[in-house]
Amino acid sequence: MPLPAQLDRAIVTGSLTAGAIGLPYILVVSVLGIMGRINGAEVVWWLLAGLILVGAIGSVTSNNVVHAALSLVVAAMGIAGMFVLLASEFLALVQVLVYGGGVAILLLFALMMTNASDDPIVVDGSQKPFGFGVALVMGVVLVSAMVGASWNATITTVVSFRDIGTRLYRDYGVPFEVASLVLLVALIGAIAIARRDTEESDAA
Amino acid sequence: MISLTHYLVLSGVLFALGFYGVLVRRSAILILIAVELMLAAVSINFVAFASYLDAKLFTGVIFAIFVITIAAAEVGLALGIVLRIYRERSTANVDEASTLKW
Repeated sequence: MPLPAQLDRAIVTGSLTAGAIGLPYILVVSVLGIMGRINGAEVVWWLLAGLILVGAIGSVTSNNVVHAALSLVVAAMGIAGMFVLLASEFLALVQVLVYGGGVAILLLFALMMTNASDDPIVVDGSQKPFGFGVALVMGVVLVSAMVGASWNATITTVVSFRDIGTRLYRDYGVPFEVASLVLLVALIGAIAIARRDTEESDAA
Repeated sequence: MISLTHYLVLSGVLFALGFYGVLVRRSAILILIAVELMLAAVSINFVAFASYLDAKLFTGVIFAIFVITIAAAEVGLALGIVLRIYRERSTANVDEASTLKW
């Protein structure tokens, strides 16, 4: 069975764009690292940042809903790498488990149950230029504010699992219990909202 | 040397990208994906500040754990609502489900 033309073209153009931008990027970062201009951690940081941005841009611009969900997984994995660089391995594990395992599967399930993703659909509203302008202004404001502030701080120690456990259960015990209650309520609520009303359909 | 500013700029760009997605997308599920990006940007910010400025108490890491927890709950609940709307109206586009009562 041949691929739909729309899907085929999207894959080809996407791969070509990724190759044309990604390969020179990886090459430049690696060469800078080999020349010693930036150290190893920075090489990893820039590669992960590129991965995150590719995933994020893909998930907000892709016309194919399944590609958008999978791009979110790419971005989430890059963010897990960033957590490792930020010396908190526990969060990296949680990120991989929750986003790569839970959220991605939920999103794909919902896409499967709501959209026939084969036919080309209009995924962006007519407010697109306006939205782009607003988001651009917001990004410029955020980035300029963050570049403007100066912090003289360095990473000191790795946050160990034992420390996280102690802090979470001893100092944040009540919020932790409340969070578990929120999860329980969300679970029950999702089931109650999404299930079919059997009595109604029987009566009808 | 990776500075704190590196992480802050990355999270700012990521937040703006998610914001763009929320504003532009029509499908409720794609909007949820963009919201997830914004939440992830916020947790990068929390963890970066915790690792650089608060190495003794690392409160930002604890906050990021809560952010991830609430994000998971939010996705589960929101997808239930989306499925319900889709069943009632056979569309998941937010601009077509613009009334709260029908």
